[in-house]
Amino acid sequence: MTDAALSVRELGKVYSTSAGDVHALRGVDLEIVNGETLVLLGPSGSGKSTLLNILGGLDRATSGSARFQDRELTRASDVELTRYRRTSVGFIFQFFNLVPSLTARENVALITEIASNPMTPEEALARVGLADRFDHFPAQLSGGQQQRVAVARAIAKRPQLLFCDEPTGSLDSESGVQVLEAISEVARDVGTTTMIVSHNADIAGMADRVIRFRDGRITDIERNVAKLAPRDMTW
Amino acid sequence: MKPLDRKLVRDLWRLKFQMMAIALLIACGVSVAVMSFSAQRALAQAQAAFYEDTRFADVFAQAKRAPLSRLRELARIEGVTATDGRILEAGLMDVPGLARPAMARLISLPDDEGRALNRIRLSRGRMPDPRRTDEAVALKTFMDAAGVRLGDRLTAVVQGRAFTFTVVGAVLSPEYVYVPAPESFMPDDAHQAVLWAPRPAVERAAGMSGAFNAVALKLAPGASTAAVLADVDRILAPYGGRAAYAREDQASHAFLAAELKELSTSASILPPIFLIIAAALVHLTVSRLVDAEREQIGLLKAFGYRDGEAARPYLRMAIAIGLVGAVAGGLVGGALAAAIVDQYRDYFRFPVLAVRFHWLAFGGASAVAVAATVAGSVAAVRRAAGLSPAVAMQPLRPATYRAGLLDRLVRGAAIDQATRVIVRNLERFPVRSLLATLGLAAGLTLLVGTQFLFDSLDKVVDQAYYRTQRWSEAIGFAEPRSIASLSEASRLPGVLAAEPVRTVAARLQANGREELTRIVGLEPDAIFDRPLDARDRRVPFKGRGLVVSEALADRLGLEAGDEVRVEVIDGRAPATVLPVTGLARDYSGFAAYMDRRRLNALMGEGDLISGAHLQLAADRRAAFYRAVERTPQVVGASSRDETVASWRQAMAEAFRVTVSFYVGFAGAIAFGVAYNTSRIALSERARDLATLRVLGFGEGECAYILAGELAVLALVAIPLGVFGGQALAHGLVAAYSRDEVRLPAVISARSYGISLLAYLVAVTVAGALVARRIWGFDLVAVLKTRD
Repeated sequence: MTDAALSVRELGKVYSTSAGDVHALRGVDLEIVNGETLVLLGPSGSGKSTLLNILGGLDRATSGSARFQDRELTRASDVELTRYRRTSVGFIFQFFNLVPSLTARENVALITEIASNPMTPEEALARVGLADRFDHFPAQLSGGQQQRVAVARAIAKRPQLLFCDEPTGSLDSESGVQVLEAISEVARDVGTTTMIVSHNADIAGMADRVIRFRDGRITDIERNVAKLAPRDMTW
Repeated sequence: MKPLDRKLVRDLWRLKFQMMAIALLIACGVSVAVMSFSAQRALAQAQAAFYEDTRFADVFAQAKRAPLSRLRELARIEGVTATDGRILEAGLMDVPGLARPAMARLISLPDDEGRALNRIRLSRGRMPDPRRTDEAVALKTFMDAAGVRLGDRLTAVVQGRAFTFTVVGAVLSPEYVYVPAPESFMPDDAHQAVLWAPRPAVERAAGMSGAFNAVALKLAPGASTAAVLADVDRILAPYGGRAAYAREDQASHAFLAAELKELSTSASILPPIFLIIAAALVHLTVSRLVDAEREQIGLLKAFGYRDGEAARPYLRMAIAIGLVGAVAGGLVGGALAAAIVDQYRDYFRFPVLAVRFHWLAFGGASAVAVAATVAGSVAAVRRAAGLSPAVAMQPLRPATYRAGLLDRLVRGAAIDQATRVIVRNLERFPVRSLLATLGLAAGLTLLVGTQFLFDSLDKVVDQAYYRTQRWSEAIGFAEPRSIASLSEASRLPGVLAAEPVRTVAARLQANGREELTRIVGLEPDAIFDRPLDARDRRVPFKGRGLVVSEALADRLGLEAGDEVRVEVIDGRAPATVLPVTGLARDYSGFAAYMDRRRLNALMGEGDLISGAHLQLAADRRAAFYRAVERTPQVVGASSRDETVASWRQAMAEAFRVTVSFYVGFAGAIAFGVAYNTSRIALSERARDLATLRVLGFGEGECAYILAGELAVLALVAIPLGVFGGQALAHGLVAAYSRDEVRLPAVISARSYGISLLAYLVAVTVAGALVARRIWGFDLVAVLKTRD
């Protein structure tokens, strides 16, 4: 399928611990289409974050296959995974993970400097509504603003894939809405394929598809007939 | 074990490498103190016991020939409790296996051992039979170095007479614990023979009966040494007396005293450096730990722990570091003391030289070490105690940064964000950056400031034996002889050129100060020995003016143009006042130079010489020395090359151990500071760096941010360390210079190179050890962790 951004077959992940093996993923199959927005829901330990980590090139599967375009991620070397993250993937973290010693503009520039066809840091920040905060350090920004800088940092390199791990997990609802708006707007404009992992079922409305996890398996895939704008969702 | 104690143990284990790096510095400091004090006490006790046992004298004097009856007069001087008159004659002695004849000092044994001073102690064999005139005992150091064995038959030529004897015993003497060679200040044991024989044998060899020419006196406690010296000089003056001198000026004792002083210097300079740096590192490390654990501290307080209880583990951690370092330092210091005392056994011959662990020094140094680590932790511990539970448990806001001075400097420059992170981190923590820089600089300082010792010694040798003195061999006569002897010397085999020298002992007085020295009379156009100024230009003689060595001038407060009162001790010349017409730069001994003819005129004697400086054909040395042995008037012969070679060997041995310690210590400082600084930086930035890894930065790019910070500090520390090294070199020069050798503070490019290399290796290894942790980052965890 030419339209597939990511293609996952029989993906398994086992963690060996002193208490025995933990099966984090038990044979997951999933096709993700270019430009699609997915929301992954499920309780803690259900496997949604593990899938995100493997697709994001941070972790390796124990079995099965995960392909990005014609690249097999499960067999990639560390160097190849680093290059994959550097060129193709944008990340947004629950706790923002900005470099405290760099201003908003410089945090974004950190990524645009190593990307091949980035937008300018100023453009990226303007897209998330922070045109007036270029020279502020993280300590001078609210949580929501910090997360929007993180969004700008993630999309500035025009990534094909955008992975968001609990992006609103440490924000109040108003800030959370602003961040989700920023994500959905820039994802649409840039044409990025977006995966959002969350505990919060209320944000499912903004997805093209909602994937539900339990015990390392996908239990349910639901397609939204009409996507909602974040502003119209409530939690 | 209480939970908090268990936490302390686990924290120590988790931070073990950081803690060990700090403990290493403390160990260095404590070990130097333990080593220095242990070795010093070993030497001092051995010296005191030996002096006591052998009744080592307080005052010494020589004359040409004084009747034994004068001894009673000497004994009547106020404050004198015992006198011992001997015959001491010098000559040359051929020793099988030695290329050059040894200088022999033949000393008469006392008639009454019970009342003798400067007694000798038999180490092997037996004492000579008093009725025989062909037996002698010899200094053990000479026998060991020259390979002379009991039963060997040797012949010394004294006063033109051959004295043939059998060596029946090896002895130790308090006068010759350390035996410097006359032309050098390092031992040349193989060529320094000291022999003791019964008085009749020595009388016959020296052609002197019923007389003495060397006397030793023992003083009552509290007696005025100066008054006794004056009386001795007065009594012996008619008998060709030379200046009497006190124990402090006795060569062997003076060298020993200088060594003891050096050990005190080591013990007072080095340990404070180590402990201050250790305290700074404790401050940085514990502060970081308190920051990282503020939530835990707040939690403890929320549970009802008192402020002191919550903060105490950090204090205990500091104490633990201090104790671990102190114990390690005690162990190492004990071993070092044993090693250095072992080395002393080669130089200082005592019957017993035993080293014992100096518990008091260990206890004192340990207490200071623990006090230093506690002092280093105080700020952090107070912060832990002062944290309010509420504040402590709030999530930490991102650290506040702002664009600083450096930032404005680099703003125009197109620097990447990674470099900007480095710059901002350095600016954000100025105190830490400063402490780390100073610590690194201290390591380099110690390297540069101790490597220079080799350069300094090279300079001394170069100046003494290749610039000022350029003869290949020097000979000395027993008594001044006519200038005609110079042509005899020129005719010795292999002699290419000869220059005369006339040396007299004299007291120089100026500004109420007095120094006993020698005046060296040289030809105005001499090329084998000539006083040089600081820029290596010959200092010309002007009329009857004296050219005085800078060190001597310094002691007497003299400058060129001043006048100095000169009291010649050899011979009967009247005291006179001479102008100082120039200053000479030299690094060993004290001397004054003048035109030889003017000196002879001053002495009221004819055209005399006391020795000659020679240039020898290298392939005729054996023949030359064979001839010298048959020349009775020659009592001393020195070879420049042999002196320099043995000197270099002795120096290399003496300093190799010391400088290896210093290099190790300095490396420990640079490594310890670099490792701790990097570990702290890593612990603060692990999350940032892992985030960058997730965002697509390679390990190397992350390592750049971490190592870049250290690299900047290490580079800034280089000029500081170099300047510090120069300052330390000057300080050490002041502390270690002795009368025998004044070390110049010169540092060669090679020493800078070696120091910088060692420094960079230590810093790079430390940085690499920390940076390699980036390769082990858990990228998944970083997504979920708050700082």
